[in-house]
Amino acid sequence: MGTLNFSAKNIIKKFPGVVALAGVDFELRAGEIHSICGENGAGKSTLIKILSGIHPNNSYEGKLYLGDESLELFSLKDAEKAGITVIYQELALIEEMTVAENIFLGREPTRNGIIDWHKIYSESQQLLNQFQIDIDPTACLGELGVGQQQLVEIVKALGKKSRILILDEPTSALTEKEVKVLLVILKKLRNEGISCVYISHKLDEVFAVSDRITVLRDGRSIATLDADKTSRGEVIHCMVGREIDNLFPRNKTSLGKTLLKVSNLNVTNRKKEVLKNICFEVKAGEVLGIGGLMGSGRSELLLHIFGAWGKRSSGTVEVQGEPLEKHTPAQSIKKGLVLVSEDRKIYGLIIEKDIGFNLSLSSLDMFSGLFLLDSQREFVENDKFFRSLKVKAPNLESIVENLSGGNQQKVVLGKALMTDPKIIFLDEPTRGIDVGAKLEVYELINQLTEKGYAVVMVSSELPELLGMSDRIIMLCEGRVGGTFVNENLEQEQLMSAAMEEN
Amino acid sequence: MNNKLSTRDFSMVISLLIIWAIFTILSPTFVSSRNLSMLMIEFSIIAILALGMFLVILPGHIDLSVGSGVGLFGGIASVLVFQYSWAAPLAMFVSLILAIITWWLMGMLVVKQKIPAFIITLGGLLIFKGSFWLVIQNSTIPVVKGGNVNLYSLLTTYYLPAYVSYTLCLLVIGGVAYRKIVSRNQRKQYGFTVENVEVSFMKVFVTAQAILLFVLVSNEYRGVPLPIVILATLATLVYILTQHTKFGRYLYAVGSNEKAAFISGIPVEKLVIMSFATMGAIVALTGFMQTAYAGSSTTTIGNLMELDAIAACVIGGTSLKGGRGNVMGVLFGALIMVSLLNGMTLLAISPEIKFIARGTVLTLAVWMDVRLAND
Repeated sequence: MGTLNFSAKNIIKKFPGVVALAGVDFELRAGEIHSICGENGAGKSTLIKILSGIHPNNSYEGKLYLGDESLELFSLKDAEKAGITVIYQELALIEEMTVAENIFLGREPTRNGIIDWHKIYSESQQLLNQFQIDIDPTACLGELGVGQQQLVEIVKALGKKSRILILDEPTSALTEKEVKVLLVILKKLRNEGISCVYISHKLDEVFAVSDRITVLRDGRSIATLDADKTSRGEVIHCMVGREIDNLFPRNKTSLGKTLLKVSNLNVTNRKKEVLKNICFEVKAGEVLGIGGLMGSGRSELLLHIFGAWGKRSSGTVEVQGEPLEKHTPAQSIKKGLVLVSEDRKIYGLIIEKDIGFNLSLSSLDMFSGLFLLDSQREFVENDKFFRSLKVKAPNLESIVENLSGGNQQKVVLGKALMTDPKIIFLDEPTRGIDVGAKLEVYELINQLTEKGYAVVMVSSELPELLGMSDRIIMLCEGRVGGTFVNENLEQEQLMSAAMEEN
Repeated sequence: MNNKLSTRDFSMVISLLIIWAIFTILSPTFVSSRNLSMLMIEFSIIAILALGMFLVILPGHIDLSVGSGVGLFGGIASVLVFQYSWAAPLAMFVSLILAIITWWLMGMLVVKQKIPAFIITLGGLLIFKGSFWLVIQNSTIPVVKGGNVNLYSLLTTYYLPAYVSYTLCLLVIGGVAYRKIVSRNQRKQYGFTVENVEVSFMKVFVTAQAILLFVLVSNEYRGVPLPIVILATLATLVYILTQHTKFGRYLYAVGSNEKAAFISGIPVEKLVIMSFATMGAIVALTGFMQTAYAGSSTTTIGNLMELDAIAACVIGGTSLKGGRGNVMGVLFGALIMVSLLNGMTLLAISPEIKFIARGTVLTLAVWMDVRLAND
C-alpha cells in the first residue's frame, strides 16, 4: 500500500461561544515530515482531533482528502482504518506487559481461539528489525525508558499498517539523547514512504526533522514554509504576528551582596543519598541557572532548600546570613525565599478557585488582622499584580482552571512575588507556555534582578539557560558537574558537564 | 464568593419543600407549632454537629467518631452533675476541655503519624462508645437533680421571651441588609459583576420574611428555643471563619490541593490539628444539647449521629474530597435530614424502615456529589 497525500481544506470548527478553527488548510505530502507550530490556543489540538476523527465529520465545516478522494472520519477507528494513527504524550501502553504484547495489544493473532505467541514475537521482531530499532521484544515495557516506550508505540502503529503518524508533543518527557534517536527513526520512516505530522513547542526539533512547517495562529493557517528555506525568526514571526528580535532579552545588572549561600549540602530521601556535597551562592541582582539531565536532582535541590523535600545529613544553607535548617516552606517564605514549582497544576495552583484566591494565598498574613481578613487591602494588592503581570482574564474572579498555560504561570509568579521575597526559585518557569508568554517571563526576570532580587532558575532547555543566566551550575547525578560564568559558553560544554565527560 | 445560584441550590430548596408537603399531607401535625418547635431544636443539634463536620471535611478529612463522642462528653457532664454534685457550668467546662484535648490528639495522629482520619476516627467511634457506657455504667443519668433546672437542662428547655425574639429578629434582618449593601458596593468598586438590584432586594426580602415567619410561629408555642440562637451564633461564626479569615482560606486551599497549599507556605499540619480541635469543642456542645434534649444520659445518645452530620454536609454540597462547600448548604442539608427523621417519627414508621431511608438519602447525596464533581 503506497502512501497518499493527506489534506484538510478550509476547516472551520466552532465550539459554543468560541471559534477554535477559522479556516485552516493543511497538506501532508506522501513521505514528508510536516510540523505544525503555534502558540497555545492557536488551534493545534483541535486540528489534530479533526485529522484523527475525534471530532466527527459533521461537526465542522471543510473537508478532508486522502489522495483525491474525500475522506469522512467519524471516529478514531475510522482514522485507523484509513491508515492514520495519533501518538499522544500519554502513551497507551501497559507497563506490565512485554514489548511484543504491547505491539499486538487489542489485535492478538489467535489459532483456534488461543493466542499465537510465536507469531506475536516473531512478527514484533521483524517490525523492529525493519526500522532498525534496537529493542528486545521479550523485554517488559516497564523496564524501558520513556523514549524507548515511545518507539514501541510507533512500532505498534506501524504494525497496524498505519502510513500516516501524528505525533503530539512526543518529546516533552524525553532526554536529549532519546530525542535524537526518535528524530533519526522518524527520518528513516520517511524514507520508507511513511508521512508524519509533528507537533512540538521546541523549534530546534522542528527544524531538525521537518520538510515543511505550517504555522497556526488564532485558528488560521498563517503560512506553510519549506524548512530549509525559512528561519526560526520567520516561524516565530508567523506564530506571534510580530517580530521578536531577541528571544532572550537578558540585561545584566550589577551584583549586590550574597543572599543565598549553600555549603557542602548532602541530602537523603528514603535513606538514599540524592544530593551530594553541593556548594553555591547567589548574589542580589544575579540569575543563577541550574541545569542537568532528568533525575540529576535539579528540582530536588530547590525543593530541599525551600524546606519541602528530603532530609539533610550535613551542610548548611544561609539566607541573608541566617541559617535555614529543619524548616517548612512557610518559614522559608518569611525569610524571603520563595519557590515557583515546575508543575503549576500540582504544586502551584488551587485550580478550581479564582485568580484572587490564588494570588494572595501566600501573603494572607499581610492582610490579616487579629481574626478577620481585610478584603479591601487584599483586593488592592491582588489588582496591582493582576494588572502589572497583564493576566489575560475578565477580572480577579475568573477561575484559574479556565486560563491558558501562560496566564496560569503568571498567577503562580504573582503569588510568589506578593510575598515580597529576596530570593526566587523558578523551576522550569517557561514549560508548556507559548513564545509570547515566555518573553514576558524573561522580562519579568530582568525586572526582578534590576530591583535587587536573586533568581535561581532550573531549566532543561540549554538555550534558555545560556540565554538568561549570569552563571550556570550543571548537576550530574546529584553532584555539581561544573560551574560556569556565562561568557562565550557553548551548549556542548554544559552537556559534557551534565554527563561528566570532561 | 460565588453568588450565582446553582441548580444544586435550587434542587435543595425544592426537595425540602417536597418533603415538607408530603409530611404535611400525611400527617397535618407536622406543621403544628409544637412539632415545628421540636423540629427546630432537633435541627439545631444536628446542624451544629454538621458545622463541625464541615470544618473537618473542608480540608479533606472525615470524622466517624462524633456520634460516640456526643454520648461520651454529654455523659461525663451528666455524671459530674448528678453523681458528684458539680455545678453544671463547671462540669460542662471540664467535659468541653477533655473533648478538645481528645480531638486535638486525634488530629495529631492523623497529621504526624499519617494514619488516615477514616481509621483513626473509626477507632475513636468504638473507644468512645465503650468509654461512654463505662462512664454512665449502662444506666440513665439525668442532667439535673430531682426536677430542678440548671444551665445544662436549660440548654434545650429555655425559650426566649417574645420581646427579646422580636428585637433579635429586627437586628438580624438589619444586619443581613447592611451586609448586602456593603458587599454590593465593594463588588462594584472592584469591577466584579454585580447582581441586579431587584435580585439583591428579593434575597434580603425573602430572608427577612423567613426569619419573621419563624419568630411568629415560634411565639405561637413557647417562643424561640435557645438552641436556635446557639446555632445562629455558631453558624455566623463558622461563616466568618471560612469566608473572611486566613484560617478559612487555608481550609479551602488544603482541601483542594494540599501539595500546592504546602508549597504556598500554608502550615498544613497545624491547620488540620486546629480543625479537629474545633470539632472536639463542637462535639462536646452537641453532646450537652442532645443529652439535655433527652433529659438524661442513656446508652443510645448520639447513636449514628456522625452519619446524619456527614449526610447534612454532603446533601448541602460539601465535597467529600475537600475544598468545596459552604455554611448555608450545610444548614439546608441538616434541615432536610432532620425533617425526614422527624416526619418519619410522626408517622410512626418502624425503625427498620427509618434506617433504610437514612441510608438511601446518604447514598443518593454522595452519588450526587460524585456526579457533580465529574461534570
